[in-house]
Amino acid sequence: MSSTGLNVYMPVVMLFAFGFIAVAGALLVGKLVRPHHPTKLKETAYECGEEPVGSAWSQFNIRFYVVGLIFIIFDVESALMFPVAAVFKQFNEIGMGSIALCSFLVFIGILVVGIVYCWKKGDLDWVKSYQHSAARRTIKE
Amino acid sequence: MFVKFLFLISTLLTLAGAIGVVAVKNIMHACVFLLASLIGVAGLYVTLGADFVSAVQLVVYVGGVVILMIFAVMLTGGDKADFFNKFGFEKVSAMGNKKTYLVGSAVLIVFTLSVGKIIFNIIDLKSSKDPQSYVSTVEQLGHLLLTDHVLAFEASSVVLLGALIGAAIIARPNRGVK
Amino acid sequence: MNNTIVSYLLDFEIVRNMFDFVSTKFGLNASGILTFFIFFIAAFIVVNVMAVIGGLGTYAERKISADMQMRIGPNRVGPFGILQFLADGVKMIMKEDIVPAKADRALFFVAPTLCLMGVFASLAVIPFSKGLTLTHLNVGVVYLLGVSSLVGIGIFLGGYSSNSKWSMLGGMRGASQIISYEIPVTLSMLAVVVLAGGLSFDKLVDAQTGWPTGWFIFHNPFTFIGFFVFFVGVLAETNRAPFDLPEAESELVSGYHTEFTGMRFAFFALAEYVEVFVVCGAASALFLGGYKVPMDLGGESILGQILQMGSFLTKTFLLYYVVIWIRWTLPRLRVDQLMVVCWKYLTPIALFNLVGCALWVYFLNGKSFYELVMNMAVTSIHSGGGH
Repeated sequence: MSSTGLNVYMPVVMLFAFGFIAVAGALLVGKLVRPHHPTKLKETAYECGEEPVGSAWSQFNIRFYVVGLIFIIFDVESALMFPVAAVFKQFNEIGMGSIALCSFLVFIGILVVGIVYCWKKGDLDWVKSYQHSAARRTIKE
Repeated sequence: MFVKFLFLISTLLTLAGAIGVVAVKNIMHACVFLLASLIGVAGLYVTLGADFVSAVQLVVYVGGVVILMIFAVMLTGGDKADFFNKFGFEKVSAMGNKKTYLVGSAVLIVFTLSVGKIIFNIIDLKSSKDPQSYVSTVEQLGHLLLTDHVLAFEASSVVLLGALIGAAIIARPNRGVK
Repeated sequence: MNNTIVSYLLDFEIVRNMFDFVSTKFGLNASGILTFFIFFIAAFIVVNVMAVIGGLGTYAERKISADMQMRIGPNRVGPFGILQFLADGVKMIMKEDIVPAKADRALFFVAPTLCLMGVFASLAVIPFSKGLTLTHLNVGVVYLLGVSSLVGIGIFLGGYSSNSKWSMLGGMRGASQIISYEIPVTLSMLAVVVLAGGLSFDKLVDAQTGWPTGWFIFHNPFTFIGFFVFFVGVLAETNRAPFDLPEAESELVSGYHTEFTGMRFAFFALAEYVEVFVVCGAASALFLGGYKVPMDLGGESILGQILQMGSFLTKTFLLYYVVIWIRWTLPRLRVDQLMVVCWKYLTPIALFNLVGCALWVYFLNGKSFYELVMNMAVTSIHSGGGH
């Protein structure tokens, strides 16, 4: 039984498979049961009774992307913090708590600088960034 | 037995996803194939016994990078005809000045120390607990990050800060004011 | 160490004898196959029970909202209308599956699949009890975060593949909302991890006790605030009101699942309700003592496991009720208010909590507030009585 160690991941793989089989199976079963009478009107997108005009892919605002960027930075940061947080208590018990605390606080501190910068420069605002910077420019002048 | 099965589906997922990324015409489909490929890589990490790395792969890559790529594709979107794989790159010439060389040499020193520690073990901080005595890889990683590789740990936070500020500057709505 | 339901069951004579019998009869690989069967049956039971809980969640929502609005709610199908979700399921499966002409058919199938796969995969680590959990992965908390992000991608792909302006907006907003609120949730989890010293759910739950004084929510003021940050964060992650802008009924028709009909919509709804159960379970495991029973009644026996499961489910269903309650009480947040709440309020508070918990562990050796008060009371009694 060489794979006893990795047997813990069997339910993970199984549940992924169950999810897929549930969706595929239900849709297949449904295909036998449900009606299928497509008309042109049924197959247009719903827009509250109006005819849809133009394609749906319009140019999206950049703030979605900025939020995504800030998120990924903090995501990587928290992924790096997980192992340190897991051993923090043990380090405290064997007397090396101050080393762990200092490393931890320096790490968080550097990233707090980052979030403060984004806050001050208005990257975390959702709508007001244009008016904010325009108002600032008029005040400076 | 289960290891072989897990390895098989992980490699199939990784390779099929990777081939799909390059082969399909629609960029959105390519992103979904990339998602499948990254999940396969997470499975491969599991077969290697690196359970924490596979979980982090799920969190960072699947939950972050793929979404970021999808957002980027949506931002440059337009008509459906534009969603095709195009090759092409522009070269931007970068002339350094004193500040960039200073920062560059500092980065080189940090990088050499970190890589030297990993390959040649040039720094060896003795700690009172043996990393191998921990039960799981997470705790081993945490121990090493706090003792031997603390320079790499802190340097990574500085790198993340630089990435954050750089990305925020580039992506800011009103560029070119300065 | 990783514990699974199989390793728990191996503590029993009967199961060990079964394993030996199968090994001697069918050769070496048979015990692996038996392990597979036990996992299969357990996972099957968990998935079906969760699907029923998801369905009953829709029923509970309708009944509780009716109660709050002085109505009666569904009461026709079955006693007190409890079989309403089955009737809804049958209706959904028989509806015509309309795929818009301009929609992306492949992604139309992938989107609800990803949502459901992500939610089902997160069921592997939910700590129902010490022995009867499917697996106690060493990296349980991080794994839970990872597979929950699959749901976010599923939501976005649902919005994108419909090729409708409403759905696209709903999908983008949904994805950005989910990724933004992952940060305060992760930071609150990190605070608890610092206190408990491990990432697996059984280590996190075992660091608490059965009595409420030992729960992490009452451990120190930082985790107390952390619980509310976590709760608000997971409300936003599951797109529940007041954060349900991606599926806002009055604004975007139905947001990212406007164009999904019949069974495909049922998958999105099922994924949402099961995900609410999963995050309530995670909240009760991290902050409210999880499956711990006061005085550890029953121990490792089957009766003890059932008591533990009862304790866990009670706390989870209480939180579920609160989630439903909040939906029908509070108005919806605007999208810019949503982002402001996340990045300017919850994330700094969560960072502050994390630093505070680290300092608490360092200075006070991780003793809870209750323990400190008890120590002070005991020493004052001793010193007072020593005269």
